Amino acid sequence: MAQPPPVSDRLVRTLQWLWLGWAFLLVGGVIIWIVGLILASWRLDDVVQASVGISLVAIPIFIVFMGVVFYVFWGVALHGRKREN
Amino acid sequence: MALWGMVIDLDRCTGCQACVMACKAENNVPAVGADEAQRGRVISWMQVLTETEEEDHEGKTRFIPRPCLQCDDPPCTKVCPVYATYRNPEGIVAQIYARCIGCRFCMAACPYNAKYFNWRGYQKEAPGQNPDVSLREKGVVEKCTFCHHRLQKARERALAEKRDFDPAEYVPACAEACPAKAIVFGDLADPASEVAQQARSPRAFKLQDELGTKPKVIYLTEGESSGS
Amino acid sequence: MAPERDDHEDILLAPIERTGPGFYWAVAFLSLLILWGAAAYAVQFTEGLGVTGLHQPVAWGFYVTNFVFFIGISHAGTLISAILRLSKAEWRRPITRMAEVITCMVIFIGAGQILVDLGRPDRMMNVLRHGRYQSPLLWDATSISAYLTASLTYLYLPMIPDIAILRDRLGKRKLLYSVLALGWTGTAYQQKVLNRAIAIMAVLVIPIAISVHSVVSFVFSMTLQPSWHSTIFGPYFVVGAIFSGIAGLIVTMIIFRKAYGLDYYLKPIHFRYLGQLLLIMSLLWFYFTFAEYLTGYYGAEPEEMKVFWSKFTGPFWPFFWAMVLCNFVVPLSCLTRLQRHTVGKVLIASICIIIGMWLERFIIVVPTLSFPRLPFPQGVYAPTWVEWGETAGSLGLFALFYLLFTKFFPIVSIWEIREGREHSLKEVEQRIASYLPGDAGEKV
Repeated sequence: MAQPPPVSDRLVRTLQWLWLGWAFLLVGGVIIWIVGLILASWRLDDVVQASVGISLVAIPIFIVFMGVVFYVFWGVALHGRKREN
Repeated sequence: MALWGMVIDLDRCTGCQACVMACKAENNVPAVGADEAQRGRVISWMQVLTETEEEDHEGKTRFIPRPCLQCDDPPCTKVCPVYATYRNPEGIVAQIYARCIGCRFCMAACPYNAKYFNWRGYQKEAPGQNPDVSLREKGVVEKCTFCHHRLQKARERALAEKRDFDPAEYVPACAEACPAKAIVFGDLADPASEVAQQARSPRAFKLQDELGTKPKVIYLTEGESSGS
Repeated sequence: MAPERDDHEDILLAPIERTGPGFYWAVAFLSLLILWGAAAYAVQFTEGLGVTGLHQPVAWGFYVTNFVFFIGISHAGTLISAILRLSKAEWRRPITRMAEVITCMVIFIGAGQILVDLGRPDRMMNVLRHGRYQSPLLWDATSISAYLTASLTYLYLPMIPDIAILRDRLGKRKLLYSVLALGWTGTAYQQKVLNRAIAIMAVLVIPIAISVHSVVSFVFSMTLQPSWHSTIFGPYFVVGAIFSGIAGLIVTMIIFRKAYGLDYYLKPIHFRYLGQLLLIMSLLWFYFTFAEYLTGYYGAEPEEMKVFWSKFTGPFWPFFWAMVLCNFVVPLSCLTRLQRHTVGKVLIASICIIIGMWLERFIIVVPTLSFPRLPFPQGVYAPTWVEWGETAGSLGLFALFYLLFTKFFPIVSIWEIREGREHSLKEVEQRIASYLPGDAGEKV
């Protein structure tokens, strides 16, 4: 099997940070969305309890996702590499 | 704050459907065509339902004109995901065509089947339409609005003429057109109004009252004269 | 200690390294289905929903049925992957990846069904901009977003070591695999981090999955319609989802076992255990169905009975009884003795269950709408080619996504099998020893 051209380490790192940033944006976006809906329902005086109630469950869950992804990124990519070196 | 409601006297209703036609003319309700009607897609904000009593050996048929019952606890507004239908402070359940995404959840939730859908682009601009009522595009839900545009017009006229608005000036097309005067419309919150008085009649009943929707269209059951 | 390379692992990497004619034939066939679906939707987009068989009062039909059905299939991944992982069932190892991929791909298709069903898809952003949380559709949007995020994460994390293998062994796509592997080198520390993250996700994904299908059921049970406004809907739908999910997983396993020659990894014992799970779910499904209909029948409310009889003897009887046959009779006869012809029996049962569960969703959605409370003029719901095309296209799209995935990543988790070989035998022995009386096997 012929050796493929080596992949630039720098490029890989940049893309990995972008990958993480993308996850952060998605989860962050969802949280902002939910908060926006709470504000809308409060402004229109339309069953605020439903929005608040659901956000109390949904937002922490999304924050945990983000935490897990960060933890893996840190543990595997950053810390793991440091330890190996 | 007014609470607009309607009393329909089933003893007077002859099933002539003048209310249906008046409503369609007033609100630019499209004629969907024979093909679509065959497929069950007739849009009829005011619809006369026929009920044949099976227990009665005479097989008596009952005509029930059914507009949107403008519930005070509407099951349809609860389930709308985008605020396209809501109950305004005067008790009319409004429909915002520009917001509706056509998910038809409100149609599935309404126990009276009062909501209709534009399965195709039925409406087109044409002469003779009522300029006060907007045309609905395909893919949105529509329903009876108690001719809310007439209320707005009456209020604006009163404002322009610098006088108080008189609730008697606001009459939906169906109530106006009924030749038997079976439909009485007015402010239920005003105990002196005719509609409030009739609503207190011993003959008064509400459709599917047990569901708790608190409809504001109250029916008067047939009296002794009709042999029931 | 570097893990010994097993030559059989080449089988798992073969689909990624090479592409045979079978793949192209499959893609061609699936593309035809997708084309049919695309044509159907194009017609619907221009003409409106009038091109379907929907009408007043049956405003919901195939699309909503498909929505519930596809979201139901997605429970395959959660059950196998998460629950079996948490209960330390070792037989899950070759199956987890397949299950997780089903979940991720099918959620897209399921959510897409609602978009197809909208009268104004150009306004779908209104749900995000002006959403109302009192509406079960918003609960759906939130819960499905959470489930999608959780499933994608739960698919990706256990893939990292496998992606590292691809990065090191495969010649092509080096950049893609290097980025996604996050610099994995297999150190003990990295393994600990990953295992902990996977464990957290496994615990989290189960309640989210249960909430997803409960919330899908609430779309129906939160209305006042006869046969919909029932408290059993939440658990009923979840059980049905797990049921159809396992069946979907089995069919997928059998297809890819044949196509990629995975007999070495997917053995009859795996199908036997899955078959037993399927049998349990069939009995559970029957129990819920029985409880639901008995309650309706005993109460004999006129509105409910109209719908009840329409299903038992009325216009919907073929679909209802086909459903009972497919979901209960056939599985019970196939799955009670799985010693011989395991794969064949389990395949027949699974195909029947997939059809049966689709029918069950149909039987829930359409009859209730067909018999409104008021004396409304009734119509008969007859789906058109548009709805059939959309269904075919959706299935084709799901299959295509899945197939493309197998071309990029191994469909059986290589490192989990290695872990099973190297650590699990000892671990399980110790575990069993700890159950037995005495101090034997107690971890010091």
